[in-house]
Amino acid sequence: MAVKIIETCVNCFACAPVCPSKAIYEAKPHFLVNANKCTECEGDYPVYQCASICPIEGAILNSLGEAVNPPGSLTGIPPEKMAEAMAELQSH
Amino acid sequence: MQLPVLNEAPAAKSGCSASSCGTTENQMDALPDSIREKVQNHPCYSEDAHHYFARMHVAVAPACNIQCHYCNRKYDCANESRPGVVSELLTPDQAVKKTMAVAATIPQMTVLGIAGPGDPLANPERTFETFRRLSEEAPDIKLCVSTNGLALPDAVEELSKHNIDHVTITINCVDPEIGAKIYPWIYWNNRRIKGKKAAKILIDQQQKGLEMLIAKGILVKVNSVMIPGVNDQHLAEVSRVVKSKGAFLHNVMPLIAEAEHGTFYGVMGQRGPTHDELQDLQDACSGDMNMMRHCRQCRADAVGLLGEDRGDEFTLDKIEEMEIDYQAAMEKRKVIHQAIQVEMDSKRLEKAEKSMQFKAEPKLSTRPVLMAVATSGQGVINVHFGHAKEFLIYEASPDGVRFISHRKADQYCGGDSTCGDGESVLQRTVRTLEGCEAVLCSKVGYEPWELLENAGIMPNGEHAMEPIEEAVMAVYKEMAAAGKLDAQPEAARASA
Repeated sequence: MAVKIIETCVNCFACAPVCPSKAIYEAKPHFLVNANKCTECEGDYPVYQCASICPIEGAILNSLGEAVNPPGSLTGIPPEKMAEAMAELQSH
Repeated sequence: MQLPVLNEAPAAKSGCSASSCGTTENQMDALPDSIREKVQNHPCYSEDAHHYFARMHVAVAPACNIQCHYCNRKYDCANESRPGVVSELLTPDQAVKKTMAVAATIPQMTVLGIAGPGDPLANPERTFETFRRLSEEAPDIKLCVSTNGLALPDAVEELSKHNIDHVTITINCVDPEIGAKIYPWIYWNNRRIKGKKAAKILIDQQQKGLEMLIAKGILVKVNSVMIPGVNDQHLAEVSRVVKSKGAFLHNVMPLIAEAEHGTFYGVMGQRGPTHDELQDLQDACSGDMNMMRHCRQCRADAVGLLGEDRGDEFTLDKIEEMEIDYQAAMEKRKVIHQAIQVEMDSKRLEKAEKSMQFKAEPKLSTRPVLMAVATSGQGVINVHFGHAKEFLIYEASPDGVRFISHRKADQYCGGDSTCGDGESVLQRTVRTLEGCEAVLCSKVGYEPWELLENAGIMPNGEHAMEPIEEAVMAVYKEMAAAGKLDAQPEAARASA
């Protein structure tokens, strides 16, 4: 039972201080979760603290390997709109 | 605290009131002495100081506790210049070293700010450690901080301990309905909160923080991002509210939104304001408040005079190699600051005299004109057209000359229909000057000369090294004498 930080993390430091178990640490190339320490906030908070402040969609996975914040959930940008804009930029 | 009203509100966009006659009234003249003293060598707060003094930001604060629709936390690009973007995150120790290296190398640097790239107060340990050490080790540097306000009430006590006498709060709205269109979420009391509820908490915290700072005697500037169709109609109300609570300066900045930034507004096609819309709003707010018009929306790691960025000279590996004797540097800085102060004082006096003379002259009845000026500081025209990274825009009218704004020469490419691939840098620069009828530089080359003339902008290289306001007025009078100011210009205004 642990969350996982993946490579889309931008190293913004926001998650580390809000972790109730001090399970998150600075590492290269990005922050990591000590799976032995992570409790998924059970007993402390009803929601994952790291994933509640993380600004990057998809950067934190739950123990099932699913993105806690799926595409569009934080920025409000519909994923298809984002894909459209990126395709448009790449065609230039 | 009583807030002075700078009565420079012009009638619509067409002119200026009596208080800014002759040459531009010093933006700070309307402030009480106690405040003026604090801000007169602060480049971000004083329009005339920004020609002389430099500032720097140290990027020690990466975390943020809210999301704004104009920000993308993934962004990190050396070629980009806008708030929230940095190349290198610093530890407090590195930040202190960098600040002292810059202060020793650029003695005009008077102000150290922490502005991100996240929210400084969402990184209290890193931010306050930097402030604590700098107030001990480099006491001649002014410290300031910029925040979204969410964590501000809890930080006021600590801020007052570090002798920080300026705080900037970004307040884009005082209405949660509008806030919900700007802020998708906040992190508050261990939860991510969205929508109107989030906006209301943020607004309440900002207003509470503002009141607490004023009660502590700390100067507060308010930044607002102007977002057409979202908060543009609302910002006059914001101005009124923050002024009534004691903020001393309001800085309305244009939204920067391009699809390639990957921000909500950029991707969704939200446009920024035109030069005219921004100016109209600043004018509308200035009836209520002392407005700031010279903001460059700099990066969270910018170094140098406003509008320039010498950050490349102070990368981590470079400052590692520098040996700084700060005591010696402080002595040198003191002498240089005094000399600048003497020069600024004499220029202010000169301006006042010129203003008196101007008032005694028969008043023209011509229409106002916008002019662009190329300068690298010291308040004079001293940059070649082709070398200008930005232009300062002044309005000349029968009431005098007033500073309006700056425009970047290397504009962000909008990718819209008017910005095709074939457009040269020069053509883009000329387009940047839309609405201006003259451009004053130390020199103008043959090719730009022709392009400028064709665009209805008169190039002028005859006032090199002259004080800006005097030169602008001289050109205005020439235009009036030549009968150019009786009719509306073809290219100006309507298209801007």
